[in-house]
Amino acid sequence: MKKVTHRAWTSLLIALLLVAGLAVYLVRLADNGGAWATYFSGGTPGGTILDRDGVVLYSSTEDGVSWAADSTTRLACYHLIGDATGNVRTGALRQFRDRLTGYSFISGSSSGKTLQLTLSSRLNTVAYNALAGRSGAVMLMNYATGEILCMVSTPADDPANPSASPAEGTYINKCLSAGFVPGSVFKLVTLAAAIENIPDLFERKFWCEGQSVVGGAELNCTGSHGSQSIEQALANSCNCAFGAIAVELGADTLAEYARKLGFTEQLSLDGMTVTAGQFDKAEAGSIGLAWSGVGQYNDLVVPYALLRYVAAIANGGSVPEPTLLGHGSLDRESELLDADTAARIGEMMNNNVQSAYGGQWTFPGLNVSAKTGTAEVGDGTSHAWMTGFLNDAEHPYAFVVLVEHAGGGLANAGPVANQLLQAAVAG
Amino acid sequence: MPEPAELVGYVIAGTRYLLPLLMLWVLARCLRSMLRERYEPETWAYLVDANGLRTPVNHWECIIGRSRSCDVVLSSQSVSRVHASLQRDGSGYWTVSDLRSRGGTFVNGDEAELLYPVRDGDVLDFAGEELVFQAVTRDEREWLERRRTAPGRFVGPGVTLLILTLFQAFLTLEFTVTAEEEYLVSICLAFLALIVLEWFCYLVMRSVRRSGFEPETIAFLLSTLGMSVAASSTPDDMFRQVLFLCIGVALFFILGWWLRDLRRVKAVRWLAALAAMGLLAVTVVLGEVRGGAGSWLNFGGFTVQPSELVKVLYIYTGAATLDRLFARRNLFVFIVFSAICVCALALMGDFGTALIFFTTFLVIAFMRSGSFATVFLAVGGAAMAGFLVLSVKPYVAQRFMTWGHAWEDVWDSGYQQTHAMSAAASGGLFGRGAGEGGLVNITAADTDMVFAVLSEELGLIVAVLAMFAVIALALFAVRNAAHGRSTFYVIAGCAAVSLMMIQMGLNVFGSLDILPFTGVTFPFVSKGGTSLISCWMLLAFVKATDTRRDASFVVSRDPKTPEDGGDEYEEEDEYEEEEEDYGGVPGEEGGI
Repeated sequence: MKKVTHRAWTSLLIALLLVAGLAVYLVRLADNGGAWATYFSGGTPGGTILDRDGVVLYSSTEDGVSWAADSTTRLACYHLIGDATGNVRTGALRQFRDRLTGYSFISGSSSGKTLQLTLSSRLNTVAYNALAGRSGAVMLMNYATGEILCMVSTPADDPANPSASPAEGTYINKCLSAGFVPGSVFKLVTLAAAIENIPDLFERKFWCEGQSVVGGAELNCTGSHGSQSIEQALANSCNCAFGAIAVELGADTLAEYARKLGFTEQLSLDGMTVTAGQFDKAEAGSIGLAWSGVGQYNDLVVPYALLRYVAAIANGGSVPEPTLLGHGSLDRESELLDADTAARIGEMMNNNVQSAYGGQWTFPGLNVSAKTGTAEVGDGTSHAWMTGFLNDAEHPYAFVVLVEHAGGGLANAGPVANQLLQAAVAG
Repeated sequence: MPEPAELVGYVIAGTRYLLPLLMLWVLARCLRSMLRERYEPETWAYLVDANGLRTPVNHWECIIGRSRSCDVVLSSQSVSRVHASLQRDGSGYWTVSDLRSRGGTFVNGDEAELLYPVRDGDVLDFAGEELVFQAVTRDEREWLERRRTAPGRFVGPGVTLLILTLFQAFLTLEFTVTAEEEYLVSICLAFLALIVLEWFCYLVMRSVRRSGFEPETIAFLLSTLGMSVAASSTPDDMFRQVLFLCIGVALFFILGWWLRDLRRVKAVRWLAALAAMGLLAVTVVLGEVRGGAGSWLNFGGFTVQPSELVKVLYIYTGAATLDRLFARRNLFVFIVFSAICVCALALMGDFGTALIFFTTFLVIAFMRSGSFATVFLAVGGAAMAGFLVLSVKPYVAQRFMTWGHAWEDVWDSGYQQTHAMSAAASGGLFGRGAGEGGLVNITAADTDMVFAVLSEELGLIVAVLAMFAVIALALFAVRNAAHGRSTFYVIAGCAAVSLMMIQMGLNVFGSLDILPFTGVTFPFVSKGGTSLISCWMLLAFVKATDTRRDASFVVSRDPKTPEDGGDEYEEEDEYEEEEEDYGGVPGEEGGI
């Protein structure tokens, strides 16, 4: 009898296995519960998304799903919010699902929370209209707080009335998930490396006769600039000067600065992954190295990374990490640059606007520091870029504008940037 | 006056937090009563040595020998490690059997081999160690019994049942808020029937003066959850659920009553084996295919799953009294019988049930033989058989392929698991409210994914407590094993709880993608008539292990001695009625 009694204890092994299995489940649940709970609500989890002014951009209740009332607002905020089928991977509906549904381990899913974003749908609409049907990306952020106020990517779609055959690139948020040839805006990176690595940079003169020969090949310039200081070279966006500086600095230093300044790093925005840009090291002394220093060669820049860098320049070298959700009390700052370097680049960008970009003609009533870019994409067309910031403590805004295949940066991206800044300051 | 909609919110919110609390309370009381109360052994006879030292015999089946694992340990070197067995049958006759000892066993000088009768005053000689067998008289036994503690002294079973009723009442209240109007009456009536049924059972117990009601309370608790699942998934079918519950409880009493008499239990074991094989054979031939497994029989609209009833018969057949444990041939016959059962189930394609039978077989085989070698041999054989099944049945192989990859194929092979996990996660700790879940709309959610249904509607705490309720039954059976009268009861009880736990494990972890999805039921909770009935019948085996004083109706008070003349059941029942003064207040004379 006693023997059988002892053997009876072995059936408790099963109980132990059950407890172990339960523990596995509980760990998994704590880990993935939010993703599980909202998985089958597809792209329309319960909850409401508001912009910074309280405009309803999305609402899902038991009665169904609704989007922004105004159709242009819907288009302008398409990539910000996402769509009902979850095609836009970086949309808030997918990325902020847990916050939206209010999932927690203890209370499970609630019927939905209200999520207020830092973004202004009004500015998005302005930017969307300014792009006027062209493909591109526009962002604007407050460089003192990190709040993103505008984020538009085109082409967009209407989530309330999705197109059956959307244009190519509709599902990609070009602000976050695509790299583009930067052209001259990349000179801001080369410049930062030059200031910190070439001691006599500001005493030097850079000679330009419209072209130069590097590594046996020809490097063309936008014009024949003659003898220039570094300030003038940046304002002229002189390829000869920056090509020579790139060759002097070498591929390793440039790559290091591209990484340090966040261009080739894996960045994130409120927890969602942002695509990393690209900088290939060309051979020392080669024409490729020279081109890579002026934003051509194999360089690719994601607009978000450029915005973050320019915000750091504006903010004395460090940037409050950009956010759509607002930081609350948890402000995180990343130091990208020396404060001195940042100040010098900022001054030179201001000089660009005053001496080369038309000053008050281009940005009436505003004190802007900027850099343009006209990036040759290889098919004969160019991407038009402009990035910069307002020198205005009350309106500390940094921006980036990209218009694909649009031609010259100043002529095509400039007006978009002006309209956006005027609206931002007026608001 | 709040708006009606607001009121609904308050009711749901309040009961959501109350239900887990009440369930925890019920379970804690049952556990405390089952495991923490004092538990003295029964005494059936004494063995008196030359110095007059009396060794009590605490079981109906005892092994005598030098080994410390024997029930009566003799220290003399001439005694074999396992020397002899001393057994009492249900009617009070004692026998001794020699277990191939070196020195031999003698009764009054005559050599004893198998089942040699022993009477009061006989001298038992174990290889020179002489002991006088002293039977316990009727009066002495009554006196001894009165000294034992009866359950319910510290944790009143009535109060526990009252709390359970409260739990059921609040659950019903939630349904009155959430259920559709046309089903409201039938749902309320079903819960009312459940409450009436449990109190009826309780009163029946009290009327035969039994005070152990914890296993029933746990089973009713789980059945309540089952009722809730049914009310949520098929509110139009509540009558059937109540009906099956009543049948289950009735069969629980009938089987329990049958198990009281060990002699008749032993006599029909082979009949049970035949019935099991017959049922399986009929199902293999006539079975209806549902969900890939052809294990259903259709009787004019009523479908039953014979394999569920075979579980009960299987355990009945598999458990054995001590005398049979020592013959290897018996184990061999049992292995063949098990193999036939498992193969029949595999033929039907009822892979999950086959797995349950197999693991239950392992438990029984181990408890019978105590040898891991036998068990490992069986595992090896089954692994090969399993491989065969996998290669023959593509849908079984498919489930193994999906295992651990449910999220990779959400709309096809991982459909059930992912929906279950999603629903379970959305419930949080306290659930969305009874009848408020969405998972029940998926096919077979109320049977195969019932853990997730509970998690979604009543919360993770209730779902986990449901698992612990089954584990509590297992702890109870294992604890009782030390005081079991016969190995038959101990093996049957442990096998029954093991079966329930295995089945629960396959059900819960299968739906959560921790094990392959097998589509078996959660004991007492899953919807399904035959499964519910078989669980209640298995509970009778658990009741049979409970030898606390006046605890279980399955365990007879058994005052019989051979002088009474043996074989009359009626007489015993009379005795129960006569004894007004004996158990009026349970445990009134018990020691503190």
